[in-house]
Amino acid sequence: MREKLSPSNATTIFRRISTAIAVPFFIFYLCGPLWAAVGCDLNDPDRDVERLFPESTSYRTIYTSIQQKGGDKLMQKVEKRLGDKFHGLYETIDVPYTIYEIYNNKKKIGYIHGVNQKGQFGGIQVFLALDLDGRIKAFYIQKMTSQYASKLRDTKFGRQFIGLTLRDFDGYDVLTGRASGKTEQIRNPAPEAEGDFRAALRATKKNLILMDEFVYSDQHQ
Amino acid sequence: MITKFQVAYKNLFRKKIRTILTIVGIALSSWVLVSLLGFNQGYERALSKDIDNMGFQLMIMAKGCPYEAATMMLKGGTGLRYMDESMLSKVAQEPEVDKVTPILMAAVFDPNKGESGGVAGYFGVDPKTFPEMKTYFRFRQGGWFKDLDAYEAVMGYEAAELEQREVGDMILMPEKNIQFKVVGILDRTGTQDDGTIFVPLRTLQKIFDKNHQITTIGIKIKKGVDSAPLEEKLYQLPDVQIVSLAQVKETIMKLISTAKVMVLSIALIAILIAMVGVINTILTSVWERFQEIGILKTIGAMPGDIFRLIWMETLILCLAGGTVGIILALILARLTDILIRSVLPYAPTGGLVVIDGKLVLVTLAVILGIGLISGLYPAWKAGRIRPLEAIRREVSG
Repeated sequence: MREKLSPSNATTIFRRISTAIAVPFFIFYLCGPLWAAVGCDLNDPDRDVERLFPESTSYRTIYTSIQQKGGDKLMQKVEKRLGDKFHGLYETIDVPYTIYEIYNNKKKIGYIHGVNQKGQFGGIQVFLALDLDGRIKAFYIQKMTSQYASKLRDTKFGRQFIGLTLRDFDGYDVLTGRASGKTEQIRNPAPEAEGDFRAALRATKKNLILMDEFVYSDQHQ
Repeated sequence: MITKFQVAYKNLFRKKIRTILTIVGIALSSWVLVSLLGFNQGYERALSKDIDNMGFQLMIMAKGCPYEAATMMLKGGTGLRYMDESMLSKVAQEPEVDKVTPILMAAVFDPNKGESGGVAGYFGVDPKTFPEMKTYFRFRQGGWFKDLDAYEAVMGYEAAELEQREVGDMILMPEKNIQFKVVGILDRTGTQDDGTIFVPLRTLQKIFDKNHQITTIGIKIKKGVDSAPLEEKLYQLPDVQIVSLAQVKETIMKLISTAKVMVLSIALIAILIAMVGVINTILTSVWERFQEIGILKTIGAMPGDIFRLIWMETLILCLAGGTVGIILALILARLTDILIRSVLPYAPTGGLVVIDGKLVLVTLAVILGIGLISGLYPAWKAGRIRPLEAIRREVSG
């Protein structure tokens, strides 16, 4: 038997049609023109992933942001854990973060994640290669503008971070630069660039906190 | 009393599927038509805006010198050629010239960008004449440097974002190890200026030991003046190359026009197919209602009434199809934009498909016009049905 078009049916059909029209409208009109904040990507992911994770065979790229993962509440949590506010024009809630999930054949073996950090003369990009427990396997400053950049980008400096976890950075105060425990042993190879050295450490702590919120806490749940 | 419109509307919905399919056909044709016409006006507008955003219509540079930052970067900052600053006053004297501005491009190698280093580019500009050319520049923070010799910088939006700089911060010119104070950060413009660091001309000349030398002269021509005679004169200058942005625009428009003609032909074919669909639908409907029309005539309907009734059906079909098509085009304009961008070799910034009220009305008028023409024959045929013949067919049927 054919169903009669009653007023309530007509309303439902109208609603469905309106939704069908509205959804693409919002996708293409409202989402499109928005300018996103700048993220932190590897310049040459194929080459860099292989270098930072020699045992990797492939990787997958995931994009996320604090806004997407938990909004203001997460922002406040991250700031509290960091011991500092996110500040300036560029450290904002909508900054996109790129997480590289690293695989050995089909088995996930770790992550690579980078953050931007304001340095004395320019942006610093600090990447960490982490194992599945959040332990640093490699430390890499992709970009830094400083007369002493070569010393801070040297592998010798980066080696001091290997094996450290977020717990080790709990004792590092990003505001005063005071360190305790394992972070106390990290030596600044360029005392003239103390500001950039501290910026690198703040970026590392921020990176580990974000990875804990974005990835590891999800895994534990 | 039931109106002609109501009768026509009810008639159409006696065969729902057929009517809906016809409307879909018309909708698809009008979608293509609106999108194409929208692209036609959007592309030209976006291209003009991009070229106007350069701030000048003509550029003079030493022969072989790259004329924009991207090329300079790709070449690793090499290949820069210089000309004497005195050329500026010569060009400014030409009657067609409104304003001129000198530019010095410079590049340094930054070993601390990525694994193998990268090139950082700087534009040395005159704070008096350059901002007059780029009137669309808006500052997010701060403003232009005032002194030609100052160690100050204005950063494009993306350059500032990458370097995490704000007004008052310092930047360091790699290789030279010279510090600049950031005094201004520009709003996003969607042009190459977003990635540029501007410093005072004389400061850059001093750093690179290029006193009184520049790489580029930007020329703004007086409004309404033909640039061709000026270009001819400038071509006579020794060892310089002239880049006319009007020519660039013309060349791109020519390239695009071939593609536009092809796509417009496809749209016309789509409209013809829809037209045939309309004729077929209405004609079939007339034949199916042969007896009914005959009866209408027996009870007093005049051929004109039948003609108008059938024509009204065509009008409803075209109006519905045209409206749906236009709505589709409006909703999917951004998708169309993305699709066009993926196939075009060069697409300017800004919306490529611009659909405004005027375009919507013109398209709707075209669709209705074509629909009404398509409805002429079926309506005329229906109007000529003889009552006796219709009744006889019913009896024999």
